[in-house]
Amino acid sequence: MTSFPFALAALPAVIVRRQTTSGRITLVLFVLALVALAAMPWWAGTGTIRMVLELCCYIAVAQMWNLLAGYAGLVSVGQQAFMGVAGYALFVLAQTFGVNPFLAIFLSLLVPAVLAVPCYLLLHRLDGPYFAIGTWVVAEVFRLVASNLSFVNAGAGMSLNVMRDYSAMERNIAMSLLCALLILVTIGGSFWFLRSRYGLALIAMRDNPVAAASQGVNVPRLRFLVYVAAAVGCGLAGAVYFMAQLRINPPAAFDPMWSNLAIFIVMVGGIASIEGVLIGTLIYFVADRWFGAYGASYFVVLGLMTVIVALYARGGIWGAVSRRWDAPWFPIRRHLVQYEEDRT
Amino acid sequence: MQWFDALLQGILLGGMYAQYALGMALMFGVMRIVNVSHGDLVILLSLIGISLSGQFGLGPVSVAVALVPLAVLMGWLLQKTILNRVVGDDPLPSLIATFGLSLALQNLMLQIWSANSRSLPGHGIESMSIQIGNIYLGVLPLIVLGFAVGLTWGLDVLLKRSRFGRALRAASADVEAASMTGINPRAVYAMATAIAVGILGFAAVFQSLRSTVAPADGAGQLIYAFEAVIIGGMGSIWGAFLGAMVLGITQAIGFRIDPGFGVLAGHLVFLIVLATRPQGLFGRA
Repeated sequence: MTSFPFALAALPAVIVRRQTTSGRITLVLFVLALVALAAMPWWAGTGTIRMVLELCCYIAVAQMWNLLAGYAGLVSVGQQAFMGVAGYALFVLAQTFGVNPFLAIFLSLLVPAVLAVPCYLLLHRLDGPYFAIGTWVVAEVFRLVASNLSFVNAGAGMSLNVMRDYSAMERNIAMSLLCALLILVTIGGSFWFLRSRYGLALIAMRDNPVAAASQGVNVPRLRFLVYVAAAVGCGLAGAVYFMAQLRINPPAAFDPMWSNLAIFIVMVGGIASIEGVLIGTLIYFVADRWFGAYGASYFVVLGLMTVIVALYARGGIWGAVSRRWDAPWFPIRRHLVQYEEDRT
Repeated sequence: MQWFDALLQGILLGGMYAQYALGMALMFGVMRIVNVSHGDLVILLSLIGISLSGQFGLGPVSVAVALVPLAVLMGWLLQKTILNRVVGDDPLPSLIATFGLSLALQNLMLQIWSANSRSLPGHGIESMSIQIGNIYLGVLPLIVLGFAVGLTWGLDVLLKRSRFGRALRAASADVEAASMTGINPRAVYAMATAIAVGILGFAAVFQSLRSTVAPADGAGQLIYAFEAVIIGGMGSIWGAFLGAMVLGITQAIGFRIDPGFGVLAGHLVFLIVLATRPQGLFGRA
C-alpha cells in the first residue's frame, strides 16, 4: 500500500458557521415581537388586536404555502381546506360538545392532521401541475360536504356563542396569546425545522430531488411530512381566525381567497425564504388597507403583479435583495469557515 | 325510466365538459402545463360573444364565426407572451403565471360586465326538444354533443395524421430530440395553445346558449375540465372525451338524487378513480 501523504496531516481547523450578525439581531427582534404580540391587551385596543390577528393569519398561511411550494415542490391551491376543517372542528367541539374553546383550538388541530393523510395519499399520484388543481378539488369537496351536512348546520353555518361567557379582556388576552403562538409555531417552527437535519434534506430536495434521493434523503416521506405539517399550520391559522370571527359558514371557511393571498405574498415577497413571507405580507397588508376599496381593479393589479413576478423575477423582492446584500434575517445555511492562521 | 333519462341528460352534459377538457388534455400532453385561467377564458369569450350579440344583433352562428378566430388569436398570444417563458420541468412558474392571469381576468370581467349572470339569446333553439317515447332531448344539447364528438375526432385525426400532429407528438415525447430533427418547439406550442383555446371558442358559444355565465364561473369550468382529463386518463384525446361523459353522467345522476349532491358526486367519482385507477379509466397503465 502506498503511503497517503495527507493521511497524517491533521484535519483542517474549520468551524461550521450557522449564525450571522443579521441573524442574531433578527432573533432578538423576533423574541421582542412575540412578547409584544402576547402583551397586546396592555397596549392595544380590540380593533388593533383584530387587525394584528388577521395579519398573523396571513403570515402563517403564507409561510405554510411557502414550505409546500418553495421547499417541498408541492404547489397547492387548496390549503383553505385545512383552515376550514379546523375552524369547523373548533366550532363543533366548543359549541356542540361544550369543550372549553381554548382547549378545543388545540384539539381541533387533530382533524386537519388526520385528513391530510388520505388527501396526500390520493393527490401525490397526480403529476406536478395536476397536483395543484387536485388540492383545489379536495377543498371544494370539503366545502360541498360542509354545505350539505346538517350536523354543522349546512349552508347556514354556525356561531360561537360560548365566547359570550368570557369578558372582553379575557378574549383579548386569549387572542393575543394565540397570535404569538401562531407566529412562534409557523415562523419560529419553520426556522427551527429548516435549520435541523430535516431542513438540510428539504433544501437538498428543493434544489434537486433526484440528487437528494441519491444522498439518502427519503423524498416521498419528507414531502408527506411537510404536507401534513402545512395542513396543521393552516389549521391553527383557521381555528384562530374563525374563533376571532365568531361565525363560520362554508363559503367563508373554504374561501379560495386564502390561496390567492398566500401565492401573492410568497411570490412577490420571495419564494423559499421566511424573509420573503414577512415582506410579502407587509406589502399585501398595506395594499389591502390602501387600495382594498377599489375592489375588482385592485385584484386585477395583484393578479398582474403575480404574473410579472412569475415571468421575470422568480425570486421576488427578497431574491433581489439577497443577491445584493448577504444579510439573511433567518440564516439557515451552513458556512464552512477556515481559521485564517491555519492556512499555511 | 327516470334513471335512464338521467343517463341521457348526463351524456349530453358530458358533451359540454368534453369541449373544456380537450384543450386541457392537449396542452398538458404537449407542454406539461395546466392553464389555471382555462375556465376564465371560456367565460371571457362567452361574455364577449354576448356583448357582440347584444351590440350588433348577431345570431349564435355569427357569434361563433367571430369568436372562434378570436379564441385562436387569444391562445396564440397567451403562448407567445406568457406560456413560452414558463414552459419547463418546474411546474411552479406556469402555475403561478396562469393563476395570476386567472385572478386578473376574473376581476377584469367583474369590472367590465359586473357580477350579473347573462346568456346568449338563441332565438328559440335553446328551448327546442325532440320527444322519444316519454323522454325529451334538447336540440341544443344534442348539437353540443355532436360538436364535441366532431372536435374530438378532428383533433385525434389531426394529431395522428398531419405533419403538425407528428411534430407535436415528437415535441411532447422528447423536446430536445424533436428540436434536433428540425422541429421548432415554440411554434408547435403556440399552435397547440391556439387550438386548445380555439376549441374554447365553441365551448363559450354553447355554454352561454345553454345556461348563464357570470365572471366568477371560471373556476368551476376549470375543475370540470381537469376532472374529465384525469378520469379519462392523461395523454389521450378520446380519454378526455370519455372522462367528460363519465363526469356528466355522474353529475346528472347525482342531481337526481339530491340537487346539492350533483357537483359533489362528480368530485367523489374523480377521487375514487384517483384512488383505484390513477392512470385514468381509459389510460394506459
